[in-house]
Amino acid sequence: MIRIAAVGDVHVDKDVLGRYRPALEQLPEVADVLLVAGDLTRHGTVAEAECFATEFGGLAVPVVLVLGNHDHQSDQQDEVAGVLTQAGMTVLEGSSVVLTLNGHRLGVAGAKGFGGGFAGACASAFGEREMKNFVGMTEAIADKLGAALRSTDSDALVALTHYSPVPETLAGEPLEIYPFLGSYLLARAIDSAPTALALHGHAHHGTERGRTPGGVPVRNVAHPVIKQAYNVYQLLSDEVDADLVAA
Amino acid sequence: MEAEIQRLLTEDGRVAEQGITVQRREHTLVLGGEVESTQRRDEICRRITSRFPDVEIACDIGIVRAQAPSDVEEIS
Repeated sequence: MIRIAAVGDVHVDKDVLGRYRPALEQLPEVADVLLVAGDLTRHGTVAEAECFATEFGGLAVPVVLVLGNHDHQSDQQDEVAGVLTQAGMTVLEGSSVVLTLNGHRLGVAGAKGFGGGFAGACASAFGEREMKNFVGMTEAIADKLGAALRSTDSDALVALTHYSPVPETLAGEPLEIYPFLGSYLLARAIDSAPTALALHGHAHHGTERGRTPGGVPVRNVAHPVIKQAYNVYQLLSDEVDADLVAA
Repeated sequence: MEAEIQRLLTEDGRVAEQGITVQRREHTLVLGGEVESTQRRDEICRRITSRFPDVEIACDIGIVRAQAPSDVEEIS
C-alpha cells in the first residue's frame, strides 16, 4: 500500500504562512509522500518560493512537485525551482523520480503542462506564428511527460501536472476557458504508459474526479476544489491484501 | 466592466487572482470564489471598490479551509 497526499494551487506568500502547517505536521500519520500540483506561489518570486519552502519544507515525508503558471509569472522559475530543491523537495519538469515507500517503488513523472483544449474543440498548429508556438509548447511538454512516464520503472506510476489532461475535471469552469486550462495531449501522454493515477490543479472551479480516454483515474487537487489541506489517495491496496492472504 | 475586473484581478501585482467570479445582479456586482487569506479577500474588494466607486460591490469571497483530511480514497 502507498498513500499519496496531494494538493495544488496553494499560492503561498507571507500572508499564508502557518495556515497549512498544522495539517502538514500530521502527514506522516496519513500519507507516505506529498505531491504538489503547481501554483505554489502567487507571482513566482524567490521570496514567495522561500515562503513555500518554509511552509511545506522539513516534513517527515518526501515532497515532489511541479511548477504552475503562477510560478512562471516573474520569469524566475529556475530560481524558484532552485529554492525548492535546496529545501529538499523534488521538482519535476518532463522528468521523473522513483521513491521506495513501504517496500514498493512509487514512480512520479511530472510536467507543468499547458493549454490547447480537448478533443473536438482544440487548438491546432496552424496560421499565425503565435498559434503554432502555443500548440507547439503543449506538444513539447506532453512529449516529455510521455517519455518520462514510459521510462519510469516502478510498482505504481503517477502523473503529476498543473494543467488538466481531461475536460471532466474542469466541470464548473466556463467552457470558454477550457483551452487555457489543459490539453488532450497530456491525457495521450498519460495513456501511453501504465499510469495508475493522474493528478493536476489549475482549475479552481473544477471538479475532483475524471478519467482519461484510456481509463486512468484523474483527480483535480486544486485547493479550492478539495477544500482541505490535501487529499489522500491509496494505491497498491490489492498487493497488500495478497500479502496478507499469503501470510 | 466584468472583463475589466477580471483582468485587473489577474494582472494587478497585489492581487494576481484568476479564480474570482464576477456576476451582475441588478445594480450590484457580486464577487465570488475563494482565496487563501483574509488579507487577499480584503485587498480584492478594496481594489475593485476603489476602481469603480459608483458601483455597488458585494464581496462574497470565501477563504479556503486548510484542515487535515479525515478520509482516504482507494484508487483501483
